[in-house]
Amino acid sequence: MKEVKLRFKFIKRSEYKYLSHLDITRIIIRAVRRAGVKIKYSEGFNPKPKINFSNPIPLGIESLAEYADLVILQDLDAMDFIDMMNTQLPKELKLVKSKVIASKTASLMSDISVCLYSFRLKTLSPGKGFKDGFDGEMGEKVKSHPDILNSILKLEFKKGYNVKDIVFLKLFGYAKIFKERNNRIFKFNNFFGFFQDLIKGYNVRVDYVLKEEMFIFKHNNLKTPMEVVN
Amino acid sequence: MRTVKTLKFKELESLLENIQKPGRYINKEIGTSSKNLSRIKDPCRIVFTALVFPDIYEVGMSNMGLQILYDIINRSSYFTAERVYSPWLDFEERLREQKVKLFSLENRIFLDCFDIIGFSAQHEMLYTNILNILNLGKIEIIAEKRGKIFPLVCAGGPAVVNPQPLSRFMDFMVVGEAEEVITPILEKVKACKKNCRDKKWFLKEIRKIDGVYIPDFYKFYYFKDGRVRSIEPGYKVKRAVVSDLDKFNIVTTPIIPSIKIIHERFSVEIMRGCRRGCRFCQAGITYRPVRQRNAVSLIKQSIEGIRNTGYDEISFLSLSSADYKDINYLVNGVLSNLKTENLSISLPSLRLDSFNIDIAELIGSGRKTGLTFAPEAGSQRMRDIINKGITEKEMIECAGIAFKKGWEKIKLYFMIGLPFEKYTDIEQIILLVRKVIYTAKDILPRQKLKRFRVNVSINAFNPKPFTAFQWAAQNSVKTLKEKFDYIIRNLPRRNVKLSWTSPYRSKVECALSRGNITTGKVIENAWKAGAKFDNWTDCFKFDAWEEGFRKAGADIDFYTTREIPEDEILPWDIVDIGTKKQFLLKEYKKSIKSSKLQD
Repeated sequence: MKEVKLRFKFIKRSEYKYLSHLDITRIIIRAVRRAGVKIKYSEGFNPKPKINFSNPIPLGIESLAEYADLVILQDLDAMDFIDMMNTQLPKELKLVKSKVIASKTASLMSDISVCLYSFRLKTLSPGKGFKDGFDGEMGEKVKSHPDILNSILKLEFKKGYNVKDIVFLKLFGYAKIFKERNNRIFKFNNFFGFFQDLIKGYNVRVDYVLKEEMFIFKHNNLKTPMEVVN
Repeated sequence: MRTVKTLKFKELESLLENIQKPGRYINKEIGTSSKNLSRIKDPCRIVFTALVFPDIYEVGMSNMGLQILYDIINRSSYFTAERVYSPWLDFEERLREQKVKLFSLENRIFLDCFDIIGFSAQHEMLYTNILNILNLGKIEIIAEKRGKIFPLVCAGGPAVVNPQPLSRFMDFMVVGEAEEVITPILEKVKACKKNCRDKKWFLKEIRKIDGVYIPDFYKFYYFKDGRVRSIEPGYKVKRAVVSDLDKFNIVTTPIIPSIKIIHERFSVEIMRGCRRGCRFCQAGITYRPVRQRNAVSLIKQSIEGIRNTGYDEISFLSLSSADYKDINYLVNGVLSNLKTENLSISLPSLRLDSFNIDIAELIGSGRKTGLTFAPEAGSQRMRDIINKGITEKEMIECAGIAFKKGWEKIKLYFMIGLPFEKYTDIEQIILLVRKVIYTAKDILPRQKLKRFRVNVSINAFNPKPFTAFQWAAQNSVKTLKEKFDYIIRNLPRRNVKLSWTSPYRSKVECALSRGNITTGKVIENAWKAGAKFDNWTDCFKFDAWEEGFRKAGADIDFYTTREIPEDEILPWDIVDIGTKKQFLLKEYKKSIKSSKLQD
């Protein structure tokens, strides 16, 4: 039977952010089964579906970019797959993209090394203090923290739109040792505790976190897992 | 007018910070069917029902009974049902600290805003959790102190076949099977709500419905020592029984839990009741008569259920699945229709004697989960006393079949402290385990032998209401400890994993199941002294129960180690379970005779 490998991107929002990586794995697999898509199972005593997910996201964080690779035993158009899956999934967990990929495509876990998180920060005492601090001393502290050394590539800093005391921050988390073959992904939890403590000193707290995208580092460029299989 | 108040998602989020497994407290699982609150035009015309399982989500969601009622209630356009489970200790602390009342999962409706709250009492060790949940919902726990009609509080399930222990807390209870009586009861709640009737009116309206026990309508007279002197009025509560099981299809669109729960599988009840007559077994009596579902329609519904849920395991449930007449046909039919689904089949409650080769072959074709068998006793003498019609030869043969078919894990259930038990009977438990191990060594190749495991589970015997042994005494904690010690010392260690229940816990369970009206006070006191999650080894506090009994002026031994004279009025005599007391007594006498025969 024909084997097809599909890569798909899905969102994880609202209530579903409280579900663990393994919970989401089971929910997706059951959805595939309900959709009537023929999954390829591993051989052996305890057959497991051939599905591999991108790195786990911390519990409680919403995401616009989770990925998985699935091997199926039928010829299926990627768009049809999205439709079939989305009729089985709640609005908090929907597929947004899918592509048929080569069976030898490197696994998501080994390939992805960069995550893009955006933070909405709320200042408790409105003013310029935070921006100055961030450009100066605070920014330095973020960059020089041993646990996240080399982790920050770029910080996008935007002033709040209508509300003065809300600022937006974009953070690209890099793996610590991204140059080596054995890539490690940016560990959000390692960074987050430190970051929260740090900004508390500036009277700022994190209001909301969103994982926006994941990237693969290729030829000195950042590509999404979908772009890389083009 | 009462309004339906809810907790907002944002508020829930702030409560969930640093809480273990927040997935227990969120909704949005696939398959929920409660009414959408924003679409309800007139809440006065809708009966809001809370279905409560007084244990954590993972346990409660594994229970089929609640899903059946949830399905029935939500199919009606006048009723809506939402689920409530016990919050785990950390979340309870958070709720109390933040002064937030307990709420349902679906629409996060505060418990006290429901019209009716129904508890599923699956076993006695959940009683304190029931009180805890009421308290977390800011609802008065004692029924007669709840002046207003709503919320009505009721309970059902196996642990209310003796309704006495919970009488203090419940407006009414339902003894038996709720499928056919739930709708007429909720109709009355609806009428009550619409016409602003009081509780008395409501209770009078439902008193004639099968299975309904209303504590307020009965008067118990006691002797000083706690025995029942008389009960008024004399008529009994008739257990509710579904006569035609096929009238109620199995739930083919159950709620699919998002987080991992105890039993993650599609459950199919194939048969209700058990044709065996084990004398210790309460379910064997309280689920009579034996009713089989139609196999052809079960196959159809099973396929539908697997397609609807996406589960990769199906479980055929009954008290003794291999006794189901068409079991081979059923298993075959389901497997051949779902060949490509990589389905595994589980048949809990198999019996060693009825594990036939065909079934082994069939369920062995999928993934092999462990096999569970319940010899209950080690010696033939003891098995004759409890009427477990099974010989050692049959058991060893069956274990052999299982090993040949590739099973490496086998679970054996035993009971100690059974009536007329001697040490020679306990020795036989150890010998039987040894024989199973020898059988495995003969059959299993060396490689598999490394993984081979016998899980031996040993529980203390609890005399339960409505069994032939309801009059029998439970062993004292001291005796049980000695017997456990003996087993621990003598059971082979290699390939064996032993688990047992604390004798203290068994004692409390026994006292509660044979409880009377005083037991309600005991439960209340124990809960106030910190008892909850009594079924959880780490949470069980015997001191709290000791205090509970002491403060209620009750002696725990009165309920446990006392042999009850056969002419004594029993607290649960108020219920007509469907089997005559005379029959149970006859069975008890047979067991006595049997114990003497083989002395």
